[in-house]
Amino acid sequence: MTDTPLVQMRGITKRFGGVTALSDVDLEARAGEVLAIVGDNGAGKSTLIKVLTGVYQPTAGEMFLDGSKVSFSSHADAIELGIDAVYQTLALADHLTPAANMFLGNELTKSILGFPILDNKKMKSETERVLMERLGVQLKSLDAPTESLSGGQRQAVAIARAVYHEGLRVLVMDEPTAALGPQETARTLKLIKALKAQGLAVILISHSLDDVFEVSDRVHVQRRGKRVGVVKTADSTTQEVLGLIVGAEEVPA
Amino acid sequence: MNTQVNQKPLTERLEPYIAIIGPMVMILAILVFMGLVEPVRYFRTTNINLILLDAALYMPMAMAMTFVITQRGIDLSIGSIAALSGIMMAFLIKQYGFSVYIAVPIAIMLGAVMGLINGLIITRFKVPDLIGTLAMDLVYRGFALVLAKGLVLARFPDFLTDIGRGQIPGFVPIPVLIGIATMIGGYVLLTRSYFGRYTIAIGSNPEAAELTGISVNRHKVFAYVLMGAAAALAGVMLTGKLNAIQATSAPYFNLHVIAAVVVGGTSLFGGRASMIGSFAGVLLLSMMINALVTLRIEFFWQSVASGAVIVSSVALYTWMQKKDRDGAGGIMAALSSPDGQKMVRFSALLIGLLIVLLAIGGLTAGDAKPSG
Ligand SMILES: Nc1ncnc2c1ncn2[C@@H]1O[C@H](COP(=O)(O)OP(=O)(O)OP(=O)(O)O)[C@@H](O)[C@H]1O
Ligand SMILES: [Mg+2]
Repeated sequence: MTDTPLVQMRGITKRFGGVTALSDVDLEARAGEVLAIVGDNGAGKSTLIKVLTGVYQPTAGEMFLDGSKVSFSSHADAIELGIDAVYQTLALADHLTPAANMFLGNELTKSILGFPILDNKKMKSETERVLMERLGVQLKSLDAPTESLSGGQRQAVAIARAVYHEGLRVLVMDEPTAALGPQETARTLKLIKALKAQGLAVILISHSLDDVFEVSDRVHVQRRGKRVGVVKTADSTTQEVLGLIVGAEEVPA
Repeated sequence: MNTQVNQKPLTERLEPYIAIIGPMVMILAILVFMGLVEPVRYFRTTNINLILLDAALYMPMAMAMTFVITQRGIDLSIGSIAALSGIMMAFLIKQYGFSVYIAVPIAIMLGAVMGLINGLIITRFKVPDLIGTLAMDLVYRGFALVLAKGLVLARFPDFLTDIGRGQIPGFVPIPVLIGIATMIGGYVLLTRSYFGRYTIAIGSNPEAAELTGISVNRHKVFAYVLMGAAAALAGVMLTGKLNAIQATSAPYFNLHVIAAVVVGGTSLFGGRASMIGSFAGVLLLSMMINALVTLRIEFFWQSVASGAVIVSSVALYTWMQKKDRDGAGGIMAALSSPDGQKMVRFSALLIGLLIVLLAIGGLTAGDAKPSG
């Protein structure tokens, strides 16, 4: 863990018409650490990371990557600079195979008579490799449609899609364990630790403080669109974080 | 691996193959039935040729419709596109002296442009596919009527009749080769091209497709352009087959093609595509209709049969894909639920009223006065 933040968001405000989803929020994430974002429903967690990943443009505020100012006009811009996300909904096309999903929008091709033809075989072997090497996951069949996979396996495919991009430096995960059973949750947490060990900055949104305390290094607490505190996980307790979430106490950042 | 698979229920294990099994079972049923009832007339070489010729006409359209439906779209204007592009081609040849070798590609391009118009109406003006293409069906058919009036344009150069009904000696008819070539092309397009891959992604999860940077609208338009071109090709083949074309030609294309695609396992809810299934579906429908003809059943029953096939296959696939059906407990359980009971009473009331009205009408009826 280094001390200069890899990403920094400063004074981020986001309004949707009359609704202020975020007001003056700061956030820092470092390489090789897991930053958890917690907060009640509607606290602005998803909005915050959508600003970070270029899906939304902030009404006010600035963002820095490696100390230099960046701004994204689309999600693709953020991916280009190494910031990607796995959303609550996973954004998988269930009828396609895991490999097709992993390369969706970025297909590998070979040229036959000058025409680009999808290289399904290569995509399949690459998917198998990335799943195994980066995530330690092996699927029973790579030919079955993604809908036949378990929740945790689908999660792994969505993560694999993000980490396949060699330049990936920041991975955001929005409630990855929300729909998973205990076993699959444990597996997903293991994936998160593996990604952290590979030097990524992982930002994890979760409602489960158990999960947060198991994998995170620091916890960023949102309440009603504001950051109400950041604590070191090792120096804190569930009680303290819970207090921050519901507004019983306040800790300066 | 194998033991794992064996634990799943039968329907789940069959699911990946259902697109093929469904129509194959029905084709087999027709073969067996006709083998018992009318073997001589049904299995004659000339009759099999007829079946193939009929199926060939629908293959290009079924191929393209597979893409349209997989993207959660539908195209109800293909009969009119076929008729209009056929008529425009006929005019170019007969009235303006165009070479048939130019007129045929022009007709296909015209169809593509009509598909482009459909696609733009749907994606730019946000008109739902169903309404947009239904309205354009009226427009294209209207233009065909305006152009051709009541005329039948007939007698075309050999090249055109070759496309429509030519025979390679000792081999299959030329249109069958054209049809199969388009299906193979469609298969490659579906499994090996960006367009095919994005077609499935768009139908499966439009938001995810958009999020990964796929241009959803552009690929929707592509599908309708392909559909238009395929419909025009069918129009050309039909003109050649009959050696004639008129504004009212091809009235049943829409439902026939949709039926073939849906029977083949392509889901009307999007994302699930089967080109081989569409091919089998086309064969099945042509065999079924030919069987009706062979059995000397009135032509108009075709329409009843196509409709029944669509409803039953969609219902079957929906049932097969419903993962939680174990809890539902079948039709009888549904009927005995309170809501089911209300539905039964409501249906009984409707039918009862109808019977009463018929009875009153019958009792008070005077002498029949046949019109005309
Ligand atoms: N696209 C939008 N248009 C209008 N309001 C929005 C939009 N997205 C979010 N909001 C509002 O912004 C606020 C924050 O929402 P957000 O989804 O970020 O919360 P969250 O912390 O992720 O909640 P949850 O834990 O339920 O996922 C809410 O009041 C929400 O209604
Ligand atoms: Mg959220």
